[in-house]
Amino acid sequence: MNTTLVIFKKELKDTLRDRRTLVSMVAIPLILFPTLIGIAASVMRSQMQKAQEKVLRVAVQTSGNAAGFVALLETQTRIQVVQNISADSARAMVANDSLDAFIAFAPDFDRQVAAMHPGSVTFSYKATERQEIEKRRLDALLAAYQEALRVERFKKLGIDPSVNRTMRIDEQNLASAREQIAEVLGGFLPYLFIIFCYIGSLYPAIDLAAGEKERGTLETLLTSPASRMEILVGKFGVVVLTGIATAGVALIGMYIGILQVKEIPPELLKTILGILQVRPILLLLSLLLPLTIFFAAGLLSLSIFARSYKEAQTMITPSMIVIIVPVFIGLMPGMALTPGTALIPILNVSLATKAIIAGNITPFLLAEVYASLIVLAGLALFVCAKVFGREGTIFRGT
Amino acid sequence: MITVEDLWKTFPADRERRKEQPPGRNTGEVTAVAGISFTCQPGRIFTLLGPNGAGKTTTLRMVATLLKPTRGTISVAGFDVARQPREVRRSIGFLTGSTKLYERLTADETVKYYADLHGMEHAQFVRRRDELFSLLGIDEFANRRIGKLSSGMRQKVSIARTMIHDPAVVVFDEPTVGLDVITARHIIDLIRSCKAAGKTVIFSTHIMGEVSLLSDDLAVISNGKLCYNGTYNDFRASMKGNSLEEAFIHLVEEAGR
Repeated sequence: MNTTLVIFKKELKDTLRDRRTLVSMVAIPLILFPTLIGIAASVMRSQMQKAQEKVLRVAVQTSGNAAGFVALLETQTRIQVVQNISADSARAMVANDSLDAFIAFAPDFDRQVAAMHPGSVTFSYKATERQEIEKRRLDALLAAYQEALRVERFKKLGIDPSVNRTMRIDEQNLASAREQIAEVLGGFLPYLFIIFCYIGSLYPAIDLAAGEKERGTLETLLTSPASRMEILVGKFGVVVLTGIATAGVALIGMYIGILQVKEIPPELLKTILGILQVRPILLLLSLLLPLTIFFAAGLLSLSIFARSYKEAQTMITPSMIVIIVPVFIGLMPGMALTPGTALIPILNVSLATKAIIAGNITPFLLAEVYASLIVLAGLALFVCAKVFGREGTIFRGT
Repeated sequence: MITVEDLWKTFPADRERRKEQPPGRNTGEVTAVAGISFTCQPGRIFTLLGPNGAGKTTTLRMVATLLKPTRGTISVAGFDVARQPREVRRSIGFLTGSTKLYERLTADETVKYYADLHGMEHAQFVRRRDELFSLLGIDEFANRRIGKLSSGMRQKVSIARTMIHDPAVVVFDEPTVGLDVITARHIIDLIRSCKAAGKTVIFSTHIMGEVSLLSDDLAVISNGKLCYNGTYNDFRASMKGNSLEEAFIHLVEEAGR
C-alpha cells in the first residue's frame, strides 16, 4: 500500500477515535447547532408574544382634552390607563419600568386642533428591542386618533379627506426572494462554513503534530521508511478532510435547525430550501477546499513548532481572530464581491458565499476567488513543508 | 553492520547557551558530537556509554537518520545515511525507554501500522506478528487499545513494533530508562536475542549494570568525544582493579581536563 495512504488511514482512524475531535466535528454542529437555533427561535417567539399580549400600563394626562383618544384607549382590552399622576412622577415611573408609557396632551390641545393648528402631544417611553413592539402598539393608537382628527377636520372644511394625498406610491421590490434572503442567510452561512471548517481542522492538527510530538510517537514514526513529506501529506489529508466534513455536518445541522423552526412562513421556507440545493452547496464546498488547505497547513505549521499540546493550543487560539474579523467585515452592509475584495482571503469566501446564494456570482469573480485561495493555500503548504523538514522544529525542546 | 567515521554534529546555540559562551569564542553553535568513529559488528552488542548530555542520543539519532550529520559518514547495513535514508530506515529497528504508542489504537493495529510502513505483505505480517506476540506473551491483549494496557504490556508492544520487520540493525537509546525491573528485563532479553539472531545491536546507556551484562564492544563518550573505543574485555583488563563505575568516572574526568 502507498505509504502516504497508510499514514492517512491510520491518522483518520486515530482521529475518529478522539472524543475531542468527535465533539467538535459531529456533536457541536449536528446536535448543538439545531438545538441553539430551536432555542433562539423559541425565545424570540415567546418574547414577541409576551410583548403583544402584555397589558400595557399607560399614564395619560389630557387636562380635559383629547376625549376621543381616551375613549379609544378604553376600548383596548390590553391597555390599563393610569390616571391622577403628575408628569414628573409618570416620567420617573417609565424610566424605572413601573409604567410602560406616558402620553401628555398639551392644555390647549383641543383649542389648537379646533383652530386648524397641530395639537401638541408628548409621548414618553423606554424602548429596547423587546419594548419596541410595545411602543409600536401605542404608535398605532396615536396614529389612529390622528387620522380620526384629520378626517373630522377635512369634513368640517367640506373637503374630501383623501384630497391631501398627492401621490400613491406603489412599492415594487424587484429583488427576488432568493436575493433578499441571501443578505441574511448569506451573512450567516460564511460564519457557519468558515468557522466550523476551522474548528474541525483545529483539534486534529494539534493532536497529529504537537500531540504526537508530546506523546513521543513522532520520533518512532520518523525512523520508519516513510519520508517526512509522506508523513506530512498523510496527516495533512486528515486535517483537511475533518475540516470539510465538519463544515458539511454543520450544514446538515443548520438544515435540521431550519426545518424545526415552525415560525418560518411556508413561502420563505420554500425559498430557503430552494437555496440549499446541490449546485450552490457544491460551489460553496469547492471554495472551502483551498481555504481548508490553508487552514490545515497553517495549523499544522504552528502545531509542529509547539513543544506540547498545551503550547500548540496557546499559539493557535489567538489565530481565531484572524478568521473571525474578515468574516465579520463580510457581514457589513454594502460589502460586496468586487475584483478587489475577491483577492482578500477569507473575506472573499464570505462575500462569494453571499453572491452564490443570491445566484449572481460571475465566473470572473469566482475564478479570482479561487486563484487567491489557491495561491494562499500553496504558500501555506510550502511553509508547512519547510517547518516539518527542519530538525530544529521536530526536536525542539528535546 | 554500522560504520561511523569522523562524525560531527553542531546545533545552533539557544539564547542561554550563547550567553554562557565567552566573548570572542561565541560561535553561535554548540558541538554535540565531535569527530567520533566506531564500528558495530553483526552478532555483537555495541554499547555507547556516557553521562547525560554526552552526545549518545544525538549519535544514535544520526544513525537512525533522524538528524543529519554536520560532517562525517555513517553506513548502516551497507547504506549511507545521507544518500540512502529510506533504505537505512528499512534496515533498522529503533527503541527508546521513552518510546510511547498510539493510545487509541490496539496492539494489533499498532504493529500492523509499522508493518505497512515497512511494506510487509499481509501473510508475512501475520506470521511475524503471531510469532512475536506469542514470544512476548501478549496474544490475549492483541485487540485491546494501548491506553488500556499496563506499562509493561505497552513496552512489549513497543518491542513487537520495533521487531515486526525483522531488522538487521537494532538501535536502543537508553531503552530501560524509567522502566520497572521486570519490564527492563524484557528489554535486556530482547537485546540478547537480537545478538543471538546475528543482528547488529547498538545501545546507549549510563547504567553500569547493563554494560557489564550485555557489552561485547564498548565506546565511552563524553562531551561529544570518544574517550574509549574497544572490546569490553579489553576495557575490563585496563581497569587495574577499579570497579567499572570508578573506571568510567576516571575516563570521563580525564577527557574533561
